Amino acid sequence: MQTIKENYQLLMAIVVVVVMPLFMSSGLLASEVLIFAMAVLGCNLLLGFTGLLSFGQGIFFGMGSYALGVMLVRYQLPLLPTLVIAIAIGVVSAVFVGWFAIRQRSVYFVLLTLAFSQMFYFLAYTLTDITGGDNGLLGVPRPPLTVLGVELMEIASPWQFYSFVAICFILVFWLLQRVTTSTFGRTLLAIRDNEIRAAAVGYNVRGFKLAVFAVSGGVTALAGALLAMMAGIAPLSSIEYHTSEIILVMTIIGGTSNLFASLLGAGFYVLSADWLSSIWPRWLMLLGLLLMLISLYMQQGLWGVLEKAWNALRRKPAAAAPALNSSAAETEQRS
Amino acid sequence: MNVYVLQVVNGIGIGMLYFLLAVGLSIIFGLLRFVNFAHGAFYLLGAYFCYQAIAWGFNFWLTLLVVPVLIGAAGWALERTVLRRVYDKAHEFHILITVGLALIIQEGVIMVWGPLGANVPPPDVLQGIVMWGNFIYPKYRLFVIAFTAVFALFLWWLLEGTRLGSAVRAGSESTEMVSLLGINVMRIFGLTFGLGAATAALAGVLAAPIRGAEPFMGLEAIAIAFVIVVVGGMGSFAGALVGGLLIGIVQSLMSTLWPEGARLMIYVAMGAVLLLRPHGLLGRG
Repeated sequence: MQTIKENYQLLMAIVVVVVMPLFMSSGLLASEVLIFAMAVLGCNLLLGFTGLLSFGQGIFFGMGSYALGVMLVRYQLPLLPTLVIAIAIGVVSAVFVGWFAIRQRSVYFVLLTLAFSQMFYFLAYTLTDITGGDNGLLGVPRPPLTVLGVELMEIASPWQFYSFVAICFILVFWLLQRVTTSTFGRTLLAIRDNEIRAAAVGYNVRGFKLAVFAVSGGVTALAGALLAMMAGIAPLSSIEYHTSEIILVMTIIGGTSNLFASLLGAGFYVLSADWLSSIWPRWLMLLGLLLMLISLYMQQGLWGVLEKAWNALRRKPAAAAPALNSSAAETEQRS
Repeated sequence: MNVYVLQVVNGIGIGMLYFLLAVGLSIIFGLLRFVNFAHGAFYLLGAYFCYQAIAWGFNFWLTLLVVPVLIGAAGWALERTVLRRVYDKAHEFHILITVGLALIIQEGVIMVWGPLGANVPPPDVLQGIVMWGNFIYPKYRLFVIAFTAVFALFLWWLLEGTRLGSAVRAGSESTEMVSLLGINVMRIFGLTFGLGAATAALAGVLAAPIRGAEPFMGLEAIAIAFVIVVVGGMGSFAGALVGGLLIGIVQSLMSTLWPEGARLMIYVAMGAVLLLRPHGLLGRG
């Protein structure tokens, strides 16, 4: 039953990816949705599936941006090895941050990830030779995708780039779906629901957390790398506290009960930010209001709202929500 | 050599303001077990209220008293009406609701006072400098050090010497036990949150004549306050003081030695402390 449900999410993601170009005029905006959705998947893996609230996702996002920028601009590497290096750097920085942060639990963990995000920000700000400091790393190209010298795909135009991002996104979605439904993923859920019990059963809780943190770092770095190609610049803002914050905010807006919710959250945020910021410069105030309302009244996020609506339409009792994640709210209550 | 002495004194001045910022965050965390991301916003409001009050011709000393009380009361009211509704929810919502609140306050400040910063003059008595031999220092900054030291003593008395303080400290150990002893914990929660907001606002008022008021100072402040809480130890009054001074001195010394890296060194100092003491200098495991 579970496999059907999970595959049906991948299917929904594919449908969204295919349908989006039909409704959107800007290929870059559509790419941005998928890029942030990818970063949100990485955050959701931590928050929804492991119970780790990371305020440091911007670190990996920014490191991915800079890694790609440096490799493409300074060393003119081909696309594929560049992306691999960006992912590897994301994994390495996640292991570094995780090694410190995972020794702590709950709120202390949150503070540590946040403090590290500031540390990496000032690191990027200070090392102007590598990062370009305040100006960012300019002139990031979109080279064609080549394998062994054979050109497979141009990604220069916005919609070409969208196709490439879409392929990456679906691959990541599929991969994370495999991860979350594997024994490894099940163990993560056990850790999320009751860490002490998981440790007592004999699982190396820290090891598992570090591993999932590394996966999340890699995914987020890939998203950061793609964003740098989209914008043509690896900006200082991509490693800022603000990036960590919006990735987390998108994650919670979408909902953390499943992977598809991440696409929902990122899509909602990116599109409404694009629209609102053009009509009202102080739109962040509305975002603040939305965050408070979500905290007070809709903890399951947009996915929860849609699910309720769907259940109401089908006249199905709301209690039939998937048992897989429904315990998240209860187990994380204050002790 | 003189320049280093000056920078250390500067560092103590900055550090005492950092202490004021961090102590509220730390106490709130200790008792309520959540990170208040709106803490920087109270600091921001403190600075802008100070600017507005001075611009309207109010006395600085009155402002110094009234603004923190006002914002403390607002914090207390917010806790009672809105924030306490999320205590039974998962902890990401404790954070999210304060993130939302901080955004609303920050954008509200920009709507009222505009996106550009504003300067606030120090009060007449404290303008100018003092000279002891070849030691020259702005009067206002000395006043800030003295005032925050006195206030720190007052706060320490409040936490160690009063019934409210005992309840706060006991509540940090076990909220459940305290409520079993017949103390109204929810009342203590509200008062603590209000006290935290007031200290942040006080830091804002005191900082305004030094660094002016600008809409994003709250974000900057909260990032520093988090570092101090991590360095000093969560929920610890003395930890906030030691952490604040340490970070303040590191920052101002480094700004002479290596100006570009001054902010970075704060985080390097944090990393070093964490390597040696994972729970912070004065935190308990």
